[in-house]
Amino acid sequence: MIPLPDIHPPLINASGILSYPEVFTAFESAGACLGGYVTKSVGPREKPGNDNPVVVYPPEGAVLNSLALPTQSAEDWERDLEEIKLKNAKLIVSVYGGDSKEFAQVTRRMSRFSDAIEVNLGCPNKEPGEQTIMESIGQDPALSAEVIERVRGETDKPVIAKLSPNSDYLAVADSCLSAGADALGCGNTLGPGLAVDIQSRAAILAGTTGGISGPALKPINLRMTYESYARFRCPIVAYGGIETWEDAVEYILAGACVLGIGTAFMRKNTHEAAALTRDIWEGIQEYLGDEPMSALIGGAHRPANGGGSHA
Amino acid sequence: MRSVYKVVENRRESEWTQTIFFDKEIESTPGQFMMVWLPRLGEKPFTLSYPNAVTVKKAGAFTEKLAALEPGDEIGLRGPLGQGYPALKRPALIGGGVGIAELRLLALASEAPCFVLGGRTADEILYYEEFRELGPVHVATEDGSLGHKGLVTELLPVEAESYAVCGPERMMAACLPKLPAERTYFAIERYMKCAVGLCGQCTCSGWRVCTDGPIFPASSVAQMADFGKRRRSKSGRWEKV
Repeated sequence: MIPLPDIHPPLINASGILSYPEVFTAFESAGACLGGYVTKSVGPREKPGNDNPVVVYPPEGAVLNSLALPTQSAEDWERDLEEIKLKNAKLIVSVYGGDSKEFAQVTRRMSRFSDAIEVNLGCPNKEPGEQTIMESIGQDPALSAEVIERVRGETDKPVIAKLSPNSDYLAVADSCLSAGADALGCGNTLGPGLAVDIQSRAAILAGTTGGISGPALKPINLRMTYESYARFRCPIVAYGGIETWEDAVEYILAGACVLGIGTAFMRKNTHEAAALTRDIWEGIQEYLGDEPMSALIGGAHRPANGGGSHA
Repeated sequence: MRSVYKVVENRRESEWTQTIFFDKEIESTPGQFMMVWLPRLGEKPFTLSYPNAVTVKKAGAFTEKLAALEPGDEIGLRGPLGQGYPALKRPALIGGGVGIAELRLLALASEAPCFVLGGRTADEILYYEEFRELGPVHVATEDGSLGHKGLVTELLPVEAESYAVCGPERMMAACLPKLPAERTYFAIERYMKCAVGLCGQCTCSGWRVCTDGPIFPASSVAQMADFGKRRRSKSGRWEKV
């Protein structure tokens, strides 16, 4: 297995949040404590995604999005990534395709820019009438393995298989790791879910339904992290409702070594968002005290009499 | 949060521009914006021109529908969002086209404003009579039908203690070198999706217009290589401003 790059601090943005290289450099300049940045999922050809509204945030604690993987072409992404000038942070390129061959094509173009490739194994949103495996890939261990194997064949960078919570994810993870994935992403958005406006009696999202993220997702992806670590003991990048250092520590104790932040950036300008990442990282460090972070990863799996004396 | 209101009046401002009044006043800082939602049609950003109205220029399918709303129709609003203008003393309010609409609430909130307004024709100079009651109004029209024949930038500089500019981006870019770096503010427009800082779609040189802006000080705008040059389209592909 290829080790993940040294992402320090071990905090990143979630894919689809911030999205573009120039936003990453603005965050880095503002002093954000993000040791890595993940691009929007890069697809093989230009696609506008769904019409607005693409985001809705009732009920409290849940954010639904129906963006449906908008992307510029892989060639345009190459031009963008040639421009990027991150000082210290690592760059992770998220990739998707309409079939396993397209995943491979995109990976071939993106590999040279990236410190790791994140494979988006499923997105609950699509454009009306779109033909894609993205809806079902994350539920299908054999198809997921086929995608990972083809991606693996195109890159010497570490490959993160980002799992869908709407699946038998341990079976999918097992086949992905056998097919050459180096780490697991736990995980993608849940659902999709629905939001209805009672006055106009209409579904709010133009795409009708949307993937669920935010604090509502945390207990689910925390469980996915915990179970995945228990079974595979592999590096895990975790996402889902991380808003405070306590949330981050929970994920670390469940088994994560890198934490992704997403909806916590909502309504925050760049300086406020950078301050949030500093608060989370400082909180983690204070909690760690003199212990290295490696001592904490998976700490919740220790047997009752097996140490883990942190108060 | 998103709420749905009833339209109470649709007022003609010009051949291309209508003001849509709804049944609730919204407290906002001038320069902040609302995401206007028409159920089953779409959602786009607008700045309030009155506490209970938006002014819309017909430029596409969504704005045509919005401009055609009638009393009793529904309009969804999410906001106010983003950073507005700080309190401005003796400002020159510089507006182009439908950008003039954004300056109305700012004018009412400002001490001793003056106005520098531009449009293709006299018909595009919104709120002309109303603004004349608040302070001096300098006008440039491309066809010479009102004021100076030419561009609004040809009226600059004007003497004022602060400046606010809202209009087409190329007009704003032409104003930038003619105005002081301090006490000058620009209203930047980009294609928006989430409008709450998550998706990154509305980036201008890495600043998310929805949460870092849409009002930016000139000192920041001068550092933005993309300003006046390029913006991301719905797919993320760059297009010329």
